[in-house]
This record gives sequence, structure tokens and C-alpha cells, in this order.
Amino acid sequence: MKLLFRWEGALVIFLILELIFFGLMNPDFLNLTNLIFSMNDYVYIGLAAIPMTYVIITGGIDVSVGSTIGLTSIIIGVLWMNGLNVWLAVLIALLISACAGAVNGTVVATTNVQPLVVTLGTMFLFSGIALVISGGSSASGYEGISGFPDAFVQLANGETFGLPNPILFFFGIMIFFAVMLNLTRFGRQVFLVGINPKSARYSGIRVKSIIIWSYIIAGLGGGVSGLILTSYFSSARSDLGTEAVLPVITAVVLGGTSITGGKGTVVGTGIASIVIGMMQYGLQMMSMTSQETSVVIGFLLIIAVLLRLTNWGLLKKFHTKKAAVKEP
Amino acid sequence: MNLLSKIMKQREISIVVLIVVFIAIVGMVNSKFVTGKSLLLLVESAIILLILAVGQSFVLLTREIDVSVGATMGLSAAVCGLLLTSGVSGWVSALAVLAVGVLAGLFNGLGVAYLRIPAIIMTLGTLGILRGFMIILTGGKWIEDIPNYFKKLSGTDFIGLPLPVWIGLVILVAAYLVLRLTKFGRYFYAVGDNADGARLIGIPVSKVRVLAFVLSGLSASVAGLIFVINIGFVPNQTGSGMELQVIAAAVLGGVSLNGGLGTVLGAGLGAIFLTAINSSLIYLKIPAYWNNAISGFLLLVIVISDSRFQSFLANSQFKKKETAEAEGGGQGDEATL
Amino acid sequence: MDDQLLHIRQIYKQFAGNPVLKGVDLTLYKGEVFAIVGGNGAGKSTLMKIITGLYRPDQGQMVVEGSEVLFHQPSDAHKHGIYLVPQEPLIFPNMTIRENVTIGLHENKAECARRIQHYLSVLGWNLDLNRRGLSLSIAEQQLVELLRGLIRNAKILILDEPTSTLTFSEINSLFSTIKKLTSEGLGVFYITHRLTEIFELADTVAVLRDGVISAKGPVRDFTYEKLLEGLMPEKIEVLAPQLERTEAKPSAGQHREPILSVKNLSGYRFQNISFDLYPGEILGIAGVVGAGRTELATSIFGLEPSNSGEIFLDRESIKKYSLRERINRGLVYVPEDRHQHGLFSIASLKMNITSTILPKFRSLFIPFKKEQDIAAQAINSLKVVTTGPSQFISNLSGGNQQKIVLSKYLETGPKVIILDEPTRGIDAGARGDIYKMIDDLKHTGLAVILISSDTEEIVQLSDRVLVMHEGRMTTTIAKEDLTIDSITTAAFGIQKELKTL
Repeated sequence: MKLLFRWEGALVIFLILELIFFGLMNPDFLNLTNLIFSMNDYVYIGLAAIPMTYVIITGGIDVSVGSTIGLTSIIIGVLWMNGLNVWLAVLIALLISACAGAVNGTVVATTNVQPLVVTLGTMFLFSGIALVISGGSSASGYEGISGFPDAFVQLANGETFGLPNPILFFFGIMIFFAVMLNLTRFGRQVFLVGINPKSARYSGIRVKSIIIWSYIIAGLGGGVSGLILTSYFSSARSDLGTEAVLPVITAVVLGGTSITGGKGTVVGTGIASIVIGMMQYGLQMMSMTSQETSVVIGFLLIIAVLLRLTNWGLLKKFHTKKAAVKEP
Repeated sequence: MNLLSKIMKQREISIVVLIVVFIAIVGMVNSKFVTGKSLLLLVESAIILLILAVGQSFVLLTREIDVSVGATMGLSAAVCGLLLTSGVSGWVSALAVLAVGVLAGLFNGLGVAYLRIPAIIMTLGTLGILRGFMIILTGGKWIEDIPNYFKKLSGTDFIGLPLPVWIGLVILVAAYLVLRLTKFGRYFYAVGDNADGARLIGIPVSKVRVLAFVLSGLSASVAGLIFVINIGFVPNQTGSGMELQVIAAAVLGGVSLNGGLGTVLGAGLGAIFLTAINSSLIYLKIPAYWNNAISGFLLLVIVISDSRFQSFLANSQFKKKETAEAEGGGQGDEATL
Repeated sequence: MDDQLLHIRQIYKQFAGNPVLKGVDLTLYKGEVFAIVGGNGAGKSTLMKIITGLYRPDQGQMVVEGSEVLFHQPSDAHKHGIYLVPQEPLIFPNMTIRENVTIGLHENKAECARRIQHYLSVLGWNLDLNRRGLSLSIAEQQLVELLRGLIRNAKILILDEPTSTLTFSEINSLFSTIKKLTSEGLGVFYITHRLTEIFELADTVAVLRDGVISAKGPVRDFTYEKLLEGLMPEKIEVLAPQLERTEAKPSAGQHREPILSVKNLSGYRFQNISFDLYPGEILGIAGVVGAGRTELATSIFGLEPSNSGEIFLDRESIKKYSLRERINRGLVYVPEDRHQHGLFSIASLKMNITSTILPKFRSLFIPFKKEQDIAAQAINSLKVVTTGPSQFISNLSGGNQQKIVLSKYLETGPKVIILDEPTRGIDAGARGDIYKMIDDLKHTGLAVILISSDTEEIVQLSDRVLVMHEGRMTTTIAKEDLTIDSITTAAFGIQKELKTL
């Protein structure tokens, strides 16, 4: 537990260093309003990454989340275009994103197909369905469906208490899921299943249902992320989120969640998504394109994991061990 | 039933059967699909995925995963394009590109095998790094003025098959033979099957892992070369999203993510099957946007039914073992009496 | 001197400042079976890992057939003809037996095939070389490992507790194999904790205790007691401390209703089992490994389905209930494999302890204060050596881990508790605590089923013993007739005469 706190602490320190560094490079960076509003551009990553933390803690992975984002978006658009109340459309779309998660979870829990393969399949399937819905309703792929009512657009573009709504969403969701993971019985079972699914079963924990619910949560995360993106761009597109998978997983792992399961924090994921977003924003202010920034983020991910793997106490032991077992 | 389970056991055969049945069905709807020309076109368009899948198989066999291949392919294509447009000869460019692939693979392999970074994280990081490098190199612009002699390579025929197809076939066959027949080839299986056991009998586990990643990187750079030859220009997003398709193809062809199981032949066939679904849609008069939905659905159905079948198989083997054990026990008693 | 295969002199090894081996000398001769016994942590496995090149000694010499050697990795040891057959064989599940044996060899295929056939015929084994690794039983996997060693021209074979997971007939065939091999001139290190095997098989024995050899010599110079003497840290009479047993009425339960009633239960690896269990009774289930005891227990608990028959708990049929519901009704099973099925290794003690009673909290949030109290109390009452409920369980010793696993099931407030090998692999002190605890449970009116391969343990604790052999109940032995002999006879079925071998 202490180690995890340390990791989150390290992330916060890194975030502060980041702010100082970019501030020195370009004083405009520290303009508070710009800084806060820049978060709008990447908040959707955090919205999907936070619930994804649950899945990764159970020892799984969900690469279909990007497709769920697009699916949610296009469903909102198509339903609204066909005359449904936009909020009803949102509700239905979120339900469908939860169902998408349930499909993932059920297959993962009841077969022995690896989660990566299952969600790879549903990644194609969900994005395919999104495309079919989009194509079938002859909504052009690139422009998408636009012209949403003002109230809906304000969802992600408005402000409350002087803060942009998406950021409030982000913190709200982060707190909600952090509380659920660390304080509730459900969260505890997610950890136990991730640490040792067999022991969990022998302890009378309903392992399958915990796994299925974790995937449902991750699916819903994709849904919420898709909803915010749709409102933010005030346009519904089936290909929103196609590029989101890798940053989402990066955020979770950078946040300190073990890819092998059993360990992880929601707050870490949240901070990590801000770290990544700030990094992108800062580098962009140093006139790098967003695609170019991925070099830095890639290195960041590898170095972060390397640092986490280095158990400083073990370092001494490693020396003696190295002398003994030298790998061929 | 017996025949069916034999076919199911040999994934290569079952995937060939699937492809043939699929092509036959599409052919019944639209006979144009089964002409030699359109089938050749199918194989041609599958080559990049096939080469990537062959390379990925080495990594998957050792129970690792490489999601950086799409980015490696993109970077390779960009390097190739840049060198060619700045007047470097084709051979030198090709060699430089292959070096890019080897280096990318080496980077991944060393991180996974010696620094013990989980492969999915390591290669995810590499994906970002290489994709960024590519954009920095190209300045975010498309590379368009590829010299004609290079583009023409795609039309060069030997015995009726274009050059890229030959490259793909040679790689496939070579990889198959190495894995099947050489002692070293079997090491990839051994490492994925039981790394501790492999270490104990003196297999250089870490080196095998590094080599697997190098081969995967190399295959990605070859794929990048062929992309330039075939397409004739290099867009920014070259290779993006390929990594997941490649894994899908390999898995479809029976390569297990748990390591030690599968063949490159299967992976190659998986690539052809995925491409076949894609290219058949036109002939079936189904809009192209159905492609993903159909591929995803088929991937799920095949993988799930295969898993069900394997556990059924394991169960029946258990029962056989039980009776065998009872008999064996009886014999043992007699022997000692 | 010619027939000296391996000689090691003054081997020292320490890990992070902890000395594990403190000057060990051994000599192995051709055709000799050299048994090494010792408790957990005595340094047996470290010694063997040094001999096979997995570790390098800090000090000391190894001489193989007259020349001094230094191994950097296992393949160096293989080159000198030393091969270790690990306790859990390292088989490649997706490869055929042939590949499993020959992988990594440099000879051509025909030569390999010829030599495999040679060894198969010498040893009289009948193995289909095309079978996949995953279809092999543990015994067969060991044969494959042996073959692997032989084909690498092994002169020294190290067998690490090879019989711990074998059935009786498999053990016999393994022993005859070992005898054949030594008659061909091989030397065998035989690591075991089963003292009877030493007298049956070994020529020489060495007892390892706290990193030094406390006794060594030809087996004929040893008696059972003398071996034990070498093993015990201080002189303790028997392996386990004797309990002051307050005798329950010999006919306990006859006038009461049975709490658990199993009627003609059949399932995977067991057939037609029937018994009644009364409150305040310890029912031992004896039998050799592979007799179907664990399968029976997991079936009763609801982990595995049963084919036919009935299970009644408190006169209610529970076959329709899920595992969770069975726990809620007061039936728990403490698994045999602590690490695989019992522990949550990277979790705190309290998380482990409350893992079975999460539904009982009933609130949405975990009552952390209450959890802390429950854990503290459990730690206290079981005398767990720990820094507190927040310590990670992976930092505890085996005995203390086992206590936590027990307490996590006791927290559910069971009426029937099934203990599967509750003292496997733990030290004598913790063993005594656990015996005491089992006896206490019985006196609070709990019904206990005790599955154990340690016959002494069964005799000492049980009120009644049910013996299983190859999936069937062979007999039930009442308290009065309970002796090690009576159980062993029944557990090994009909083959009593084999003991004379």
C-alpha cells in the first residue's frame, strides 16, 4: 500500500516538474485558464482509463474501448437524428455501451480465450457495428452527425463554478470509482480476483460475476467518454476513439496498475492521464504536433514501468544473485 | 466425428477448409470472385498482413506479444520513401530499412528479455516512439515522389506471380522450415511452452526471446518496403492499426497467445482469410463498412468454438488417461508381485 | 577411488547475509543411491541447485570424476552428466514425448531415436513417444524427465522428492527403475522427507539440518529413531508434539443427528462414497495420494460437480446450492494447495482473513474498523507471528500462512470444516499449534473432516477413519482399532505383500 502511495506521489511530483519545465520553456504555458481548458482535449482518455483500471486489476485488458467510444457516439447521433429526444438517446447509448462491456466480460469469464483476443474480436465487431449504423443511416463518416441541441452541446462545452464541465466530470468520476475500488466490498473483490482467481473461487467469491461487472464498468467508461467527445465536438462519428486505445492503456499502466493484475489505483490512473495530457499540451506549445509527442510518451511509459519494476531494496540482492545465476 | 476432430486439431487444415468454403460461397453468389485474376489480387493484398503475421508468430510462440509492428512498418516505409526520394539507390535504401526493423526489434527484445518489462507495455511504448519518429522524419507530410523504377517492382512478374507475392511466399516457407525442421526453430516453441524447463535444459531463453522480437521487427520493415512498392507513396498513418489486425490474423490461424502452439503457415492463412473477407464484400455487393463487423464476429466465433473444442479434447484425453492409468497400475502390480 | 562420481568439499552458500549451507561434504559413488533428508529450509534444495549449476557456491569445491568443476548454468552440469529431475517435472505441454526428450540435443534424429529405444527397452517402459506433454500423468512426466537425463548421458541423477505426488504402484515402478539404473552404474541423489523410503531404497543417507550434515553413513547403520534424531533441532519424541487429548465419548454422536451425511456420492475419481459426520467428531480420511480424497472433498464443497448421490447438511440436501451458499450454510473446505488456492499473496493478512466473509458485512462499504478487529483477534488466537494485520501474507512463514488460511475459513462460522493436508510443508511448531486448534474446534462442537497423507497425524487426531483406495471406500476404522498399521494396510488396498520388497 505504501509503495502505491509513493507511486502516486511520484506522479504528482512529476506533474509539478512538468509544469515548471514547460513554464520555463514558454511562460504562456502557465496561463491558468488555458491550462485548465487544455484538459478538455484529453479528458476523454481519463474518462475511459479510470474504469479500465478495474479490468486491468482483474488481470484482463479491454482493447475494444475505443470502438465503444465510436459506437456510443454514433448511436446517440443516429437515434437523435431519427427524432428521439437527445437525452433518451444518450441513455440508450450508455446502456448499449454497458452491454458491449457485458459481452466482453461474459466471454472472458466463461471461456478460456485470453481477454486480449476476446476484446480484439469485439473491437472489430463494435467498430464494425458503429460503421454499419453510420453507413446504413448514410451519415457521412468524416463529417458525422451534427446540429445537436444546445443543451447537449453545453454538456461538454459549458462551465459550472467557473470550471469546464468535462473536468468536473473527470474528477467526479475519478472520485466515484476510487471510492468504489478502495472502500466497497465490490472493489475489494476486484482486487482479490486479480491477485488470485483460484483462491477467490475457493473463498466463495463469485469470480465470474466480478469479472463481468468489471468489463461492464469499462464499457460504460467508453460510453461516457464517447458521450463527452460527441458533445465536445458537437458531432457524432463512428470513428471517434479509434486512436484512444493505446493512450487509455498507457494511462492505466503509467498510473501504477500492474498489467498482470492484482494491483492498481484509480487516482493513479487519473493523475497519469493528466500527466500525459499536460505533456502533450506542453510539447505542442513547443511546436511539436500531437503525433510527434508520442515519442516522449512512449519513452515515458517504458521508463515508468522500469522504475516501478526496480525494487530498490532488491537491488543489493540482485547483485549477489547476478553473480550466482548468470543468464546464458 | 473422428475426421472432424482430426481436422480441428490441425488448425492449418481447418483454416484452409474455411477459406475454401468461404470462397466457394462467395463464388456461388458472384462467379467473378473465383477467377484467377481476382484470387491473385486477393493474395497480393494479403501479403503485407501475411508477412507481419509470420514475424508476429515468432513472438507469440515465445509467449510474448509485439504491438509495435504497425509503427515499425510505418517508420520503415517512411525511411524507405525518404531515402529513395533523396536519390539513394534502391538496394541501399532497402538495407537501411531492414536495419530499422532489426533495431526496433532489438530494442523491444532487450527490454522484454533483460529488463523484464512486460511485452505489451514495452511494445506499446515502442509503438508510440516509432510512430512519433516517423512523423518527425516526414514532418507530417506524405511522401509522394517515389522513383518509378521502385514502384514498378510491384508489376515485375516471375512465373506469373508479382515480386511482393514471391517475397511473401519465400518468407513464409523459410520461416516454416526453420521452425519446423531446425533445432533452433524448436527453441521458440520450447521457450513459450515452458520457459523454466527450457532454461533448465540449456536453451538460451533470453536470446531466443530477443531473436523473436528482432524477426518480428524485420518482418515489419519488409512489410514497410512492400507497402512502398505496392502503393507508391507513404501516407502519415501507414501501418497504424495493423498491430491488432496482425494479432487477429495469427490467432485466427491457430497461434496461441499462451505460447508454444501454432505455426507460421496457420498465421499466414489467417492473414489470407481476413483479407478474403475484406475483398469479398464488393463481390457480395455488401457495403465495405460491413468489413469490421464481419471480421470481428468471425474472429470471436472461431476463437470461442476453438477454445470449447480444445477443452472438450482435454476432457476426453483425461478420461482416456484415467483408464490407461488404471490399466498401467494393474500391470505395475503384477510386475512386482 | 575409481568409482567416485562426485565429491563436494566444504560448500558454503548464503543469501543476503543468511547462511544456508555451512560447510557441506558429500561423496557419491557409482551404483549408489544416496538419500538426503532434512526439514524445510535445511538447505537440501540449495545444495542440489549448486550441484546442478543453478547457483554458484560462495566457497567450496566440486569434483566430478576426478576433475574439479565450476558450473555457471544447468547445461554445464548436463555436460558433466549431472541431471536433476525436479519435484514438479518441467514438461513442454505442447510437444510430443520424443521432442520433450530430445530438445536441445545436437545428435541427429536417428541416433536420438535409437538411444531412446535403448533406454526404454532396458527399463522396460512402454511409452507412446508421440503423445503430447499435456496428456501425461505426473508419474509419466517423471519418466520423461528421467529419459531426458539418461539421453544426456547422465551419470548422476538427482531426484527431488519424486514420490510426493505418485500413487503407490507408480512409486513401486519408480523404485524398480532406480534400482535398474544404479545397477548400470549410475549414481542417484534421492531427496525425500519420507523416512520409510530411505530404508527401502537407499544405500547411503545424509541428514541435513540448518545447513550442515548432522548425520551421515550407510543406511544399514541407521534406525528410524536415529534418523529422526538427526532431523530434530532438539530432541523431540516424535515428528509432531503429542496432544493432551481429552477423550470424547468413544461412541460420540451415536445418539445425535449427523450434521453432514454423504450418500452414495460419485464423481470424478471417486465412486459410491457414503458416510455420516457428527458434531464434535474428527473424521479422518486416509489413503495414498491419488486415492480421490481431494476430489471427494472439493465435490462436497461444490467446487466440482458430482455425478450421482446425495449430500445432506443438517438434513437438507445441498447439491443444488452453489459454493457460496454452502459456505453460508456452514460447510467449508480448507484447500490442500495453500499457494494456488488458499492465499492472496500480495494482499494484507486482514484482506486474506475477510475474503470469505465479505457478504456478511452486508453494507456497501467495508467496515474497516471491524475488519481490523476481526483480523487482530484471529491473529491473536492462532498465535500467528506477524507485525500486524496489515502485513502482506507473502512475508509470513509457511506455518503462519497456513494459520491465516485456516482462520479465513473459520471466520465464516462453519459447522463442518474439511481440512485437506492442513500441515503439509510447515514446521513442527506451527504443526503443534494447528493440531491444538483442530482439537479445540472439535470441542466447540464443530465437525471436522481431516484429509491427510501423514498417517501418524490421522491416528493422533481422528475419532474415526475412512480409508479410500483408488476412488473407493475400502473401510472405516473405529477409534479402538486405529493404528498406523491398520490404516496403511487399508490405504494400500490389497497389496500388503508389496511391503516386503
